[in-house]
Amino acid sequence: MKSKECVAMILAGGQGSRLGILTKNIAKPAVPFGGKYKIIDFPLSNCAHSGITAVGVLTQYQPLELNTYIGNGQPWDLDRNDGGVYVLPPYVSAEKGEWYKGTANAIYQNIGFISGFDPKYVVILSGDHIYKMDYSKMIKAHKEAKAAATIAVIEVPWDEASRFGIMNTDENMNIVEFEEKPKKPKSNLASMGVYVFSWDILKKYLIADENDPKSDNDFGKNIIPAMLSDKNKMLAYRFDGYWKDVGTIQSLWEANMNLLSENPGYELDDPGWKIFSRNPAKPPHYIAPSSRVKNCYITEGCEIFGDIENSVIFQGVTIEEGAVVRDSVIFPDSYIGKNAIVNKAMIGTNAYIAENSEIGSTSDDANKDFVNTKICSDDITLIGPNVSIAEGIKVAGCSMVTRNIKKPNAEKAAGKKSVKGTATA
Amino acid sequence: MVNNNTLGLIFSENSEASLGELMKFRSLAAVPVGGRYRIIDFMLSNMVNSGIVNVGITAGFKNRSLTDHVGSGRAWDMARKENGLFILPPPETIDLNGRIMGGIDYLSGAMSYLNRSRQEYVMLSDCNTICNIDLERVMDFHFEKDADITVVYTEEPDISPRELGKHILFDVGDDGSVSDIQIYPRRQKSDAAYMHMFFIKKSLLIELIEDCMAHDEHVISKNILLANLGKLRIFAYKFEGYKKKIDTIDAFFEFNLELLEEKVRRELFGEDKKSIYTKVKDSVPTKYGRDAEVKNSFIADGCEIYGEVENCIVFRGVKIGKGAKVKNSVIMQKSQIMDNCTVENVIFDKEVILCSGKSLVGESTYPLVIGKRKVV
Repeated sequence: MKSKECVAMILAGGQGSRLGILTKNIAKPAVPFGGKYKIIDFPLSNCAHSGITAVGVLTQYQPLELNTYIGNGQPWDLDRNDGGVYVLPPYVSAEKGEWYKGTANAIYQNIGFISGFDPKYVVILSGDHIYKMDYSKMIKAHKEAKAAATIAVIEVPWDEASRFGIMNTDENMNIVEFEEKPKKPKSNLASMGVYVFSWDILKKYLIADENDPKSDNDFGKNIIPAMLSDKNKMLAYRFDGYWKDVGTIQSLWEANMNLLSENPGYELDDPGWKIFSRNPAKPPHYIAPSSRVKNCYITEGCEIFGDIENSVIFQGVTIEEGAVVRDSVIFPDSYIGKNAIVNKAMIGTNAYIAENSEIGSTSDDANKDFVNTKICSDDITLIGPNVSIAEGIKVAGCSMVTRNIKKPNAEKAAGKKSVKGTATA
Repeated sequence: MVNNNTLGLIFSENSEASLGELMKFRSLAAVPVGGRYRIIDFMLSNMVNSGIVNVGITAGFKNRSLTDHVGSGRAWDMARKENGLFILPPPETIDLNGRIMGGIDYLSGAMSYLNRSRQEYVMLSDCNTICNIDLERVMDFHFEKDADITVVYTEEPDISPRELGKHILFDVGDDGSVSDIQIYPRRQKSDAAYMHMFFIKKSLLIELIEDCMAHDEHVISKNILLANLGKLRIFAYKFEGYKKKIDTIDAFFEFNLELLEEKVRRELFGEDKKSIYTKVKDSVPTKYGRDAEVKNSFIADGCEIYGEVENCIVFRGVKIGKGAKVKNSVIMQKSQIMDNCTVENVIFDKEVILCSGKSLVGESTYPLVIGKRKVV
């Protein structure tokens, strides 16, 4: 292999358990976002635009969809004769085989892969944030400062700082202390989960960390503190664009809704920095005479006959006449039946909402069996992928529906029928 | 199934089609249609979907936009080590002597491609009949009938006198054999209208082309089909789906607006149909503003719509400003209609800018065409 100055490693193995049913069968980076993307499109496109042409994607949890999606990397221009994108699951060797124990261990297990490119720098990225960032500028800052590690930071509101990993810096942006979710933050510079390391230095720390049986093998908990305590030069690199963690149902919903605001803080449609994705071969979408469409994002392959307001609609969705969709995110290939109401919800891929049903209902007689305030908050209702909701069913707000909801009397009727069937047979 | 033994040949030009302003800078095959496609996408996708892995496209002299569009053929899965997509430029040495290029002239430029390809059979087609056709059925029919040439037709009763002069009609027997061919007739004696697609063994095609070239003959319908009537076994396969031939601005306009009919969209893009591929642009989804009023329209990705849109075909990356009223129009890629404009029965080519408050109104029977990159 030819050497590369820089290799990027995307940590895409996380389950994202706070996304509930959405990540039951797919890894978090494969979760759909913004009408036609998956979360992983953002770091992959950023790499492609930053001129990083050797990219490893570390997968572990439910990797099938992610592996298929990435394929040979062609949608991101990462199908290269030299380098390109590689999906790197954990593997078994002659001595042992094990899962990725933590973020640092995932990179440790791929030292061989990285060393094959003989890089000077390694960029470590997490596969679960929405942002547009030129990593090459950060690498330049890292080089100029002759740093051992450079960590991208973003200013967060002070009252939210205790939810993040906070970097305390001196006046030259050198990191003096790292605090994970501090109760009393001394700074409001949060780590974005974007790191540049000088490879020879990182490699030493990864090996030392692996040999420490007490370590959690985690960048934030172990590697960064160890490097700090050894007085390595650690630079904080300030990023002032849009950056959003989409680790919860509420933040994922908000990040989608943010696209519809007057000023989303970043331009999704920036011709010089497009977010690439695997484009489906679908025709343009059709808006019928019966529909009303206000403040929406709609993509190809949809057929819209109903009313939509403040919503993001993915490819191949059908919304029938009389249906009302408000403040919602409808994932690919879902169906919303006639006169159905969808209110402040996220509807999973290929879900079926039958006619006259109501999702996110406030009515007293609504089905509350699936109310789940641990996953859902702010009255957002989540319908799982491939779930179907029968005609006329009302699903209460803040529900996470994980299986089909049938008509109550239909179940009984079906039961009777089968008994009869056995008798005559 | 992979029809490794058939190659496809698509004519990117057609001397009988004239789309005026829309073809000023591009070949017929590269004219944008249907919100995100070019004319060639349909026939090229049909071939790929029928398992054909080797396709040649004969190019005219204005081929920049065509070659840019198809590129390596990747969007159609045709960027291959073996076979794949080939652009066949017109023969350099041709002396037209003032006459227009005929199909056989284009084929003469494709001779070395034909000779070099390993496939034994050829599916030839014009590019400008829009349909979603399963060509495997044509091939099966051909072998079942033990035909030398299989032509594809559709049933078209009551062709208007104005249109009739542009049609080729067949007399088709019960067994599917062709007993007569009427080229540009004055009277309609048959309902079987040729779709400008035929299937033939490659060795026979080469022989026929060489014969025609030696006799200074240039027209496929006359010199290959009609001339061999009675000598070769010519059979006709009937296609029953939706099709639209785009050969005039009117037909272009009609086809686009027909996409607003659910039946037509089903026939071309329905779930039971194979996909029509086109060049990928990575556009964002289309954004609708708070004041947008959109009715009965077919809209591609990457648009921003703040005004009123009714009965329109809107291509990728179009912007329609606040207070603008756009009706019965076809608006191609990256055109911008600024605030408070009024537009009716207009075809905008790519990247047209209509400045604020302007009004452009054509007739539904005679749409106004605004050329590429014009600023009004």
